[in-house]
Amino acid sequence: MPDILCCYKWVADEAYIRSGSGGDLDLSMADYKISDYDKNAIEEAVLLAEQHGGTAAVITVGLPDDTKGIKDALSRGPEKAYFINDPAFVDLEPAQTASLLAAAIASPIPYDIIICGEGSSDLYAQQVGPRLAEKLGIPCLCYVQKVELNGSELIAHRKSDEGLEVVKVSLPVLLTVVPDINNPRLPGLRDTLAAGKKPVVEFTAEDLPSIDTAALATTATKAATIKRNSRLFDADAAGIEELVQELKNSGAIA
Amino acid sequence: MDFKLTEEQELVKQNMREFAQKYVDPIAAEIDESGRFPAEVVAKLGEMGYMGMPYPVQYGGAGTDYLTYALAVEELSKSCAATGFTMSVHTSLALGPINNFGSEEQKKKFLPPLCQGKHLGAFALTEPGAGTDVSAATTTAVLDGDEYVLNGTKTFTSNGPVADTFVTFAWTDKSAGSKGMSAFIVPKDASGLRVGEHFMKMGIRASQTSEIIFKDCRIPKANLLGGEGSGMKIAMNCFDHGRIGIAAQAVGIAQAAMEESIAYAKERVQFGKPISKQQAVQWWIADMATDIDCARFLYMRAAWLKDQGLPFTKEASMAKVFGAEMCMKHSIKAVQIHGGYGYIKGQKVERLMRDAKITEIYEGTSEAQRMVIANNMLR
Ligand SMILES: Cc1cc2nc3c(=O)[nH]c(=O)nc-3n(C[C@H](O)[C@H](O)[C@H](O)COP(=O)(O)OP(=O)(O)OC[C@H]3O[C@@H](n4cnc5c(N)ncnc54)[C@H](O)[C@@H]3O)c2cc1C
Repeated sequence: MPDILCCYKWVADEAYIRSGSGGDLDLSMADYKISDYDKNAIEEAVLLAEQHGGTAAVITVGLPDDTKGIKDALSRGPEKAYFINDPAFVDLEPAQTASLLAAAIASPIPYDIIICGEGSSDLYAQQVGPRLAEKLGIPCLCYVQKVELNGSELIAHRKSDEGLEVVKVSLPVLLTVVPDINNPRLPGLRDTLAAGKKPVVEFTAEDLPSIDTAALATTATKAATIKRNSRLFDADAAGIEELVQELKNSGAIA
Repeated sequence: MDFKLTEEQELVKQNMREFAQKYVDPIAAEIDESGRFPAEVVAKLGEMGYMGMPYPVQYGGAGTDYLTYALAVEELSKSCAATGFTMSVHTSLALGPINNFGSEEQKKKFLPPLCQGKHLGAFALTEPGAGTDVSAATTTAVLDGDEYVLNGTKTFTSNGPVADTFVTFAWTDKSAGSKGMSAFIVPKDASGLRVGEHFMKMGIRASQTSEIIFKDCRIPKANLLGGEGSGMKIAMNCFDHGRIGIAAQAVGIAQAAMEESIAYAKERVQFGKPISKQQAVQWWIADMATDIDCARFLYMRAAWLKDQGLPFTKEASMAKVFGAEMCMKHSIKAVQIHGGYGYIKGQKVERLMRDAKITEIYEGTSEAQRMVIANNMLR
């Protein structure tokens, strides 16, 4: 009966991000949500716990105000949440987040399987999962699209550019999952209302070893801009010839 | 003063939005065109716990406050006003009177299947000769041993052809004036109940509307709701909270009209630039956004008052009349922003404009709301 721990990130919903006057990102209108791939991670944790007995819990690093995310995550089926929060946890780097998660998990939080999304839907650095596994000293399998669990042995189907890789490991293990793995459930009304009554264990910066200072300096985050050089070509043989030449010149086609 | 929703309320809104995007948006145009009742969506709403939101858990409800329920109606109506209305007429007008006036036995018997969406409810008050003037009704109920015998014709009953449980109204003592009307719970298989004409409508076409005819319809005496003579009081109580649902529905329709308009105005190029760059269009959008906020705050206030146990009759009528009229006005503007394309089937705003009209009519016309408000102001 495995204990399954699932990591999620509470991110700005890109649907509400506007580009500000200076090309910067305006987050003032943004609603927050559970990072898309992390919804798959939560679903997989809950499915595995449902199929094999055991427990599913979530863990997240965030700001003290991010409590709606905890309820959202718990409404999706996990029975417990671990909430590492501090006002200082703003724009953490993947290495810092992984350190905090590892320290809290070592405190200890029981686990046999840790599941993360393949990357977050804001920065998509895809680092927290592998870094966390490294810090905990457990094997890490990324981009998993199917999981079979037999006792203490897990078979993961990994998606890669070359094809499908089927890997067998012994628990404990950390997986990062791709969206194909499942269809996250839509919480019912009762699940939403019950979420606030589930246990939440909090960790603050004081409870954990201090994290390394940021290694990266972010100079700016800008909205993507697309420059169009609208040129019209005539719809005749010469025009088409000209268009093809233009595309070749610009390197769009070889 | 606090304008913030609770985290639960925000999550319910968000989940209902996702539900509507997944299950309702894909069929909304089709069920409008065909007038088909989306039974599969209503069943799913029941499964997800949305068909008895504000009623106690012990009767199968979800035990939310009224505000949370109204927020869900707004979100659902944004995708399909007919489906939103099916949920709201069932919840406010059919379950409401049973919950508020039913005996313990009646609640235990009727509410659980209704709250779970296994049964659908309807509210049959209006008659061919009795619309705004409820007292002009002619349906009668006569006690015969252990049974009441109902005779009369109800019209415009929403959910009529698909309902399992009706709350209806009949005179038990015409001579007693407004104290002579009584309310009854009538199961659809009661002998002498017949679904009459099925109406074809301008809008909310997927909502099913019909006559309900009682001809020597016999129901157990135990189905009398709230004691003989309390029918008028029960009907008015239903309208008070039902109107919050209609106000929320109107806000949902208007919000959809505005979102469609903004997207279209940014895309449609005339005179070398998007029409959203024209000040005339910008002002229409500004007015839409302002009125929608006003209407939303009005229904939220009415729901909040109700949740606090404070009087809310006037405020519910204000929310309903303002919400309905701004919804009509701006859904017309939304078609205008779409120009000729807005007049063509398949554009969502064409449907929204037809759906908007009913909000000014049912659960008390705009004129009836003004009567309620004026009565309160001039007392
Ligand atoms: C699609 C649809 C669904 C409905 N669903 C239900 C339902 O589920 N259950 C149910 O019981 N009923 C239902 N109704 C009925 C609805 O509530 C009535 O149509 C409404 O109350 C108005 O009644 P009426 O149609 O008889 O209009 P009338 O009362 O005849 O009104 C006609 C016009 O006169 C105005 N008017 C009337 N009296 C006054 C006055 N004293 N002062 C000023 N103006 C006045 C009205 O505002 C209106 O403009 C539904 C109707 C429709 C169209």
